[in-house]
Amino acid sequence: MTEGRWRGNAPDHARGADRQAASGLDELLLAVARGSERAYDAVYDLTSGWVLGVARKVLRDPAQSEEVMQEVMLEVWRLASRFDPARGSGISWVMTLAHRRAVDRVRSERSHTIRELRAATAVIDYDDVIEAVEASLDAQRVQRCMASLTELQRECVSLAYYSGYTYREVAELLSVPAGTVKTRMRDGLIRLRDCLGDAKGVQ
Amino acid sequence: MRSGDQDLHTLAGAYVLDAVSDDERVRFAAHLAGCAQCRDEVDELREAAARLGTAQAARPRPELREPTIRAAYRTRQMGPVIAEGEPARRPASWGGPRRKRATRGLVAAAAVVIAAAIGIGTHYVDMQHQPARGTAVTGVDAVLSAPDAVMRTAPVGSGGMAIVVSSRHEHMAVFIAHGLRRPPPASRYELWLMGPRGERPAGMLAIHPKGMAGPALIAGQSAGDMVGLTIEPERGSLRPTSPPVVMIGPTGP
Repeated sequence: MTEGRWRGNAPDHARGADRQAASGLDELLLAVARGSERAYDAVYDLTSGWVLGVARKVLRDPAQSEEVMQEVMLEVWRLASRFDPARGSGISWVMTLAHRRAVDRVRSERSHTIRELRAATAVIDYDDVIEAVEASLDAQRVQRCMASLTELQRECVSLAYYSGYTYREVAELLSVPAGTVKTRMRDGLIRLRDCLGDAKGVQ
Repeated sequence: MRSGDQDLHTLAGAYVLDAVSDDERVRFAAHLAGCAQCRDEVDELREAAARLGTAQAARPRPELREPTIRAAYRTRQMGPVIAEGEPARRPASWGGPRRKRATRGLVAAAAVVIAAAIGIGTHYVDMQHQPARGTAVTGVDAVLSAPDAVMRTAPVGSGGMAIVVSSRHEHMAVFIAHGLRRPPPASRYELWLMGPRGERPAGMLAIHPKGMAGPALIAGQSAGDMVGLTIEPERGSLRPTSPPVVMIGPTGP
């Protein structure tokens, strides 16, 4: 990657700037909610790369991923008034929309036979996730923190987030009780949150 | 399939990762409405999950930028969904003491459910009733965007969850349901306005896959009206012939 026009994958991105961009996004989204087109242009430039990235990760198909990115960016415009900074960051809000839309799309197209699921596991594993990750600072931090999870936590979180499986499907794939998968998703995310929070505190 | 509250509570991680069924999503969102601690947890875990996504950043083709942005400019924005009696982001000039702070979380959580339901609901409208789309969706948008929109949820006796958003200002309400059981053969769900003025039919409700129904626009409510749902013979009834599986309200002025 060359210059970081899209903040998310800028390799030379300082952490402080990341956070600045993040809080800037909150302000921009509030302006979009009031109908500001200029703010929306900036939101597009800031977030479309993240949205496309998660869509591509979940859907794999480049054309479908672009469609999802466009749909999500339209949702960001349409639903901006629902963004409430008291409940979380703008990044979290946009990514929630993006992931949800990507997962909905992948589920509507995937027929859930166990055989297909089994075949899919061969492709989707942690190494694959790691390889695909751009070597940005942010991605490295996420990688490091993912590595701090137990193997089962990591698998549960990855298969759900990056492959769009439900916890029941993950349970089937891993031959682990569904209740355990649910719990691992939760404590895996808690550990991830703590790790990412710590990393922030260090610098 | 029914889970207790404790069971639901552990769903936070799967919910944040979108690793739940549509039915569970709605039930958990309803649970969130009544559990401040769960909402805080979900908000925090979402931040972590978002980082999994941003770590994957890609570079969109520059040609996509203009058409996407232009499409947005041409699209009407939704107004905020707000709590009963409380304007969402009131203009500074309104002043006055804040009321009902605690209900904001409930509406925020519910807004998620509605956004989800509408997303799927309008998708079916797209596919099945192309010409009718404009008015129905506009009416639904108008209610959800109304400054006085009030939302109520209630479990459906025969299974599922019902949501009604009503606006006195717009004189309309929107009904959405999720996880509804398929009605017995040769019967269908029918919506009613039920109140001091008696029971008036408010439309037949089609069930989409996964028990999704709506958004159905309901007009003509008067003071004290509730929205009811019954199971009726296929062609519908003029008076309910069975007890309501759910009643939500009041929705009227």
